[in-house]
Amino acid sequence: MGNPLRSEEDAFKFLLWTIGYFALIVAGSLIDFWVGLAVFVILTGAVVWRIWPRSR
Amino acid sequence: MSAHAEPLEHGGEHEHHGPPPIHYSSRMPPAVLGMFLFIASEIMLFGSFFTVYFFDRVANGGVNGQWPPPPFERPWFIAGVNTVILVTSSFTMHWAESSLKRGNRTGFKAGMVLTLFLGFTFLITQVIEYHRIGFNTGDTAFASTFFGLTGLHGVHVFIGLMILLAMTVRGFKGHFSPEHHHGVEIGGIYWHFVDVMWIVVYVTVYLL
Repeated sequence: MGNPLRSEEDAFKFLLWTIGYFALIVAGSLIDFWVGLAVFVILTGAVVWRIWPRSR
Repeated sequence: MSAHAEPLEHGGEHEHHGPPPIHYSSRMPPAVLGMFLFIASEIMLFGSFFTVYFFDRVANGGVNGQWPPPPFERPWFIAGVNTVILVTSSFTMHWAESSLKRGNRTGFKAGMVLTLFLGFTFLITQVIEYHRIGFNTGDTAFASTFFGLTGLHGVHVFIGLMILLAMTVRGFKGHFSPEHHHGVEIGGIYWHFVDVMWIVVYVTVYLL
């Protein structure tokens, strides 16, 4: 994954991803606290998996 | 004195004057790298404020698990409208930047003016919200952290607006072109960062 602040376009895309990330967490927490927590854990895990450097 | 002055007196030996040429060791342009490092420090600053907020929330979890503790109420609706305004300003900022890259100067100018207008609207709405919210900074730790976080963000919006204003003035003077738009690019990165931080603040402080 590249630096999300490398250019204005990348920063704008990063903003859109951030909105999506938090919108899903809020939607989950509106259903139930534990659903919101589960969505947070799953999404954060997915983000960490995506950005974790694997080419060593 | 004479030992230092000697090469100059003989002349011709040192053609280059001033500091040595800049060595670009990064893959990123220096100005973008500077903004990146500045934003990294800003994330740490916001992180410290969030730490205080979460500590207060965990340590003083309200009455019967209610957050915020009664009788406080968070103006989530008006802040939600403000969120839409700020996110829209990021869209207009992106429109301005991409218009400039395509050589569409009218689109660039319109995008910059709209972004400025929306940013000022956000700030004015926040000031009105502060006036009508019904509590002040000294009323419990929740009130302090609420004003601390939202106020810190408000200061960043103000700084961002000053940067946008300078960019707009320069844009109207014709300082930018499709080949030379670094000033807009860097200001745009900062503005999007301010928006990202607001999303985090809004969700954390107003919704969850």
